[in-house]
Parts: sequence; C-alpha cells; structure tokens
Amino acid sequence: MSEEKQVKVHVDKVNKSYGDNHVLRDISLDVMANEVVVMIGPSGSGKSTFLRMLNQLEMPNSGLVEVDGYDISDPKTDINKVRENIGMVFQNFNLFNNYTVLQNITLAPVQLGKMTKEEADKRGKELLATVGLSDKADKSVNSLSGGQKQRVAIARALAMDPDIMLFDEPTSALDPEMVGDVLDVMKDLAKSGMTMIIVTHEMGFAKQVADRVVFFESGKIQESGTPEEVFNAPKNERLQTFLSKVMQA
Amino acid sequence: MVNQRVKPILVAFTLFLGLFAFGTKASAAEPNYVISTDATYAPFDFQDKNNEYVGIDQDILKEVAKRNHFTYTLKPMSFNAAAQMVANGQADGIIAGMAITDERKQVYDVSDSYYKTGVAWITKKGSKIKSLSELKGKTVALKSGTAASNYGLSLQKKYGFKVKYFNDTDTMYNDVVNGNSAATFEDMPVIQYAIKNGLDLEVKNPNNPGNAGGYGFFVKKGQNPQLIADFNKTLKEMKADGSYQKIVDKYLKSDQKNFTGSSADNNSTWGILRSNKKAFFDGLVQTIELTVAGIILASLWGMVLGLMGVAKSKFLRGLSTTIIYAFRGLPLMVLAFFIYIGLPGVIGTKIPAFTAGLLTLILNEGAYTGAFVRGGFEAVDRGQMEAARSLGLPYGKAMSKVVVPQGLKIMVPSFVNQFIITLKDTSILSAIGILELTQTGTLIVARNSQGFRVWAIIGLIYMIVITLLTWFSNWLKKRLD
Repeated sequence: MSEEKQVKVHVDKVNKSYGDNHVLRDISLDVMANEVVVMIGPSGSGKSTFLRMLNQLEMPNSGLVEVDGYDISDPKTDINKVRENIGMVFQNFNLFNNYTVLQNITLAPVQLGKMTKEEADKRGKELLATVGLSDKADKSVNSLSGGQKQRVAIARALAMDPDIMLFDEPTSALDPEMVGDVLDVMKDLAKSGMTMIIVTHEMGFAKQVADRVVFFESGKIQESGTPEEVFNAPKNERLQTFLSKVMQA
Repeated sequence: MVNQRVKPILVAFTLFLGLFAFGTKASAAEPNYVISTDATYAPFDFQDKNNEYVGIDQDILKEVAKRNHFTYTLKPMSFNAAAQMVANGQADGIIAGMAITDERKQVYDVSDSYYKTGVAWITKKGSKIKSLSELKGKTVALKSGTAASNYGLSLQKKYGFKVKYFNDTDTMYNDVVNGNSAATFEDMPVIQYAIKNGLDLEVKNPNNPGNAGGYGFFVKKGQNPQLIADFNKTLKEMKADGSYQKIVDKYLKSDQKNFTGSSADNNSTWGILRSNKKAFFDGLVQTIELTVAGIILASLWGMVLGLMGVAKSKFLRGLSTTIIYAFRGLPLMVLAFFIYIGLPGVIGTKIPAFTAGLLTLILNEGAYTGAFVRGGFEAVDRGQMEAARSLGLPYGKAMSKVVVPQGLKIMVPSFVNQFIITLKDTSILSAIGILELTQTGTLIVARNSQGFRVWAIIGLIYMIVITLLTWFSNWLKKRLD
C-alpha cells in the first residue's frame, strides 16, 4: 500500500435549515485528493446546498466543514484565502457581464495579486485553448452560447489554479447538443487528477467518471459507493425508485 | 486599490463635515447684526431697478446703523420665514413692515411705532362686492404670518369666506387681480402704494382701517435691548430733524420710476431682460452652483446609502432604509426650513442659507438617489456576486469590480432623471431666501408687476439649462457605455 491519501474535504454531522425547512440532516462525508465524487438525487434533496457549503456560499447551522484543513464552518476563518483554492462552476454560468471572455478569466488572478496582467493574459489564453474557445477571447460574454459560456466559466475557475473544483449542475441549463462539449472538458479535468465534487443529473457521465457516487434524498446521504455499486446494485429503496425514474427518461 | 474605493466616500464625508464647519465660522462674534426682512413689501422693503434692497424700512435701518456705529447683514426672504428667524435666534432683528400686536409682544421686544398702519380689505378694481358679508363662500387670499392675515382670519367665521395662503405679497395680489380670489387683506400703506403703482385693485375701507396700529422694529424677547434702544433714540432724532419725513416722502411722493425702472424697460420682455440682466445672471449662477454642488454631493451620498442598503450587515441595511425613508418622506421645503430656521436654535450656531440649501438638496435628493442605487445593485443577478466571491475576491472587490459597474449601468437613466429634478428643486430653496433664479423672479415681479413676462423669462432660462444638462447627461451615458 502506498502512503495514506490526503483528505481534502472533511464534513462532519452538518445540519442546515431555512426556517422550518430542514435541508441537511447530520451529513458526514470525506473527499480525498484526486477523487471525483458525483452527487445525485431528486431536486430539493439538499445536494446543491451541501455543495455550496463547501465554499461557504451557505453556512451550516451546526457541524464541521473542513476544506484543505481550514475549518470553514467557523465564521472567523478567512474564507477568501480558502476560496482561492476552490473553483466553483454554477448552473447559470454567472459570467461577469461587464467583461470580455478573457477579462472574466484574468480578473481574479490579477486583482488578488496572483499574476501580473501579462501572465494572466497568457494563462487565460492557454486555458481558453484547453476548453476550445481560443477565438472568443475578446468577445463579449453575451455573444456566447450556453455551452461556450460554461466552458469559459470552467476556465475562469481554473485560472486561480485551484486544488478542488465544485460543479453545481453544470449542464442543467444547456441545450442537449451543448452538454457533450462541457462534459468532455470535465472528463479531461478528472483525468488530470483534479479533486472534483459534482452535482449532476447526467447518470452516464457519473458512471464513466466518478470514483464515488453519493445519493442524496430528504437532506440525507442515503447511499454511497462506486458507480457499479450504486447503479448496478442499489440497496436503498429510495435510490432504486429514483434510478428507475431517471433511467426511464 | 482599497483606498481608491473608499476615497470617494471619505471625500463625501469630509465635505459634509466641512459644511458644518462653515456654519460654525459664521457665528464668530462681531459688531455686526443679522437683520431679516421681507423681500417683497413695497414701499417698506423691496428691490429697486438696480436690484438693491430699498424702502422706508431699509432707509430708516441704514440711518439707525450709521448713527449708532454698527453694521448689519440683511437677510431678505418671505415674511413668515424672516419673522421665525428672529424668534429662534437665527437673526438679531427684523424690520419688515411688521405691525405691533399683543401676540407678537409675547415673543418679541419691539421698538416704538415708526409708521401708522391699519388693515385694508381689497378687491379687484370695479368688483361688485361692496361689503364683507358678500364674501360668503368666496375665497380670500392671505399672506401667511402677517398681522393683516390674522385680522382677516378673525373675520372669517363672521362672514363665512374661504382662505388661501401665500408667501409673498405680489403673488397674493395677483391672485385677486386674476380673479382666483375675491378679496385680500393687507396693510393700508402697502396696498395704497401698490395701487398707486398701477395694480388693478381697490381698497374698500380707505377711511376706517381695521386694527389700526403701527409698525415696529422687532428683536427676540430679552435679547439685544441695545438694538431697540438705539432704534428708538435715532427714530426720535430723525423725526425731529426731518430726515424721517424725507425718507417717507422719497418713497410716497416722488416718481416711482426711480425705483421700478422706466415703463420702456418694464413693458417689453426684451426691456425686462436688459434692465435686469445682472440679476438674472446672478440668479442663474446661484442656481447652477446649487445644482452642480447638489448633484455631485447628493450622488455621492446616494451611492453611500445605496451601498449600505445592499451591505451584509443588517445594521447598515436598516440604517440606509431608515435614512432613505425619513428624507424621502420630508417635503423639500420643510427640510429646508428645518435646517435653516429650526436647527440653529438647537445646535446654537447659525447656518448660512447656501449651506442650509445645499444640505437640504444632499439629504433629499441623496435619499432618492440612495433608493434607486440600492435598487440598481439589487437588480444585478445574485449569481454575479456569488461567482466573484467564489473566486476568492473579497466583498469590497466583488462589489467594485463586478456588481457596481453593472448596477451603475442600470442606474444611468435614473441618475439623469435625478439631475433634472435636482435642478428644478433648487427653486424651492427660494423659500429660505437664497437668491437663485426663482427668488430673483419673485423680487423683479414684486417691483414691476410684470408677472407674465418675468416668469416666462425665468421658465425659459430653466428650460435652456435643463436642455444643456440633458445633453451633458447623454454624453456621460455614452462615455460610460
């Protein structure tokens, strides 16, 4: 056996409520370095809230959230430093409308003093090439299609050179013919060894890329395991119901 | 970079503090009195064709000052505001054709009477109304705060007329001339002078004025006894040596063109423009100064309020909401009176009219600006902020680099609109005697009674400035895009 793998994300007994709505119930989960974890489950099951808690877009009511060794469930932690190391990709892209494609990518590294403008431009263009959008550098973001926007969003997150990437339903807002391009970029990223936590409804992608699949339902992790275990031999009844519904469609 | 963001806010606050500092400076004790007066009360107080304040009151006051070796700063405004300024200590004394009444003696100390007066009731020339009882159900125009209006009011129940209030004499007269009001009450010498100058009104009781009494010079009760003593002593001397009669004759006997300008100057728009070009120009400059300073400072203050309104801190958001609510709810004129007339009594320092006016604009227009700035920021999709923060950008940078630029773009039309409103709102500040365009117009009309021509000119000047302002705003909008 090689040496023990590094724990990147450590979540222990986390709870989150909005008023009477108990969204997350006693959730615990560890994610190792280079691991790709895919979270599936019906809408409203709490998986997006959970993901957003991993970079403090949501604050838990109780429990512990450690990322890269920082306790980010503690409001005193300097969250900005931690976030520099966590890339986040949103369902609705959230590209900055007041900047060009390249400026979207270079804004954070330059503003945070990670790179000079020249270095950031160079790196930005490399990243655009990786996601297949070299020709769009100086375009306004509103001239792009959804799939192109999401690839720019991934490049923007990668420009900060993060250790962990979070994806919140990255293909849900896309036209079907755009989904493949975005998933291809994500597959390449997984191959490169990036630690990834992905909320998605793309079961095929999950099977292919995930090291581990986690099934959320009613604010709880009902089952987790390898793709084979979860998709081919689901033990949990609710998971079986969910899969039968999803696979039918 | 953080400094760059904070700088405009700091500048705004420094300027705010500076404004208050100004107010403090003006209170430095000197052998100089502040005397308030009514800006439109011929023949006692009015502006002559050279835009100087003259009249029986003014000439007597000048003589009193000369013989008793003091100087004074004159504050001409609406009568009501002028009287309140003395009542709350903003001014040391008032001379404004102010009748001596028992009520006023409760609040003020008053000199000996320097002019006999009584209240006339007045209708349009040739009106069929012959007795007060025929006013039943009709509207009577009154000037707020005057003894004549109190007299009129005391008859209201008995004769059953309705009452409408005005702030200056000339507007009140014109309301009767135009037939909007059936009658008015005014001091006998004042109305007789106006009729002599060609106003189409007639006095119904020339031989038995109501509440016959006299005009006096007033100071706040218990304050400035020396001023009253000086006034009484000099008045006696002047009556004895004939200089008093000379002053009265100067205004009541000589050719009125000396004061009002020639009819050639007054009976054509071009003549009015030419003979008052300095007054119009000065008024315009004052309006533009108020507008520009008001727009810049109110926009900065509005930005501060708007940013507070979308801050994470509940306290700041609440503070912003409260400030916006309070100052949007206050009518501009009330706020101006509060700052100029009310506040000095409490904080113990005088606030110059321009400072008070500017502060009024900043607080009022700033509140409206704050509301649409907050709205503009809120209209920026929440995801923009989340994406910026997720990259590790601190709140301030996320705001300044991502949310603010997008929000500002949304706000541009609102800003242009607010600029124009600010320009127009400066006219309300004429109420505290700031000599901007509107007050300039009031004073000229009070002298020459050419309401139509003067207000047409003033209106046209506003429209020209507003057009220029709109062009400038559009140019700015293009630059921002």
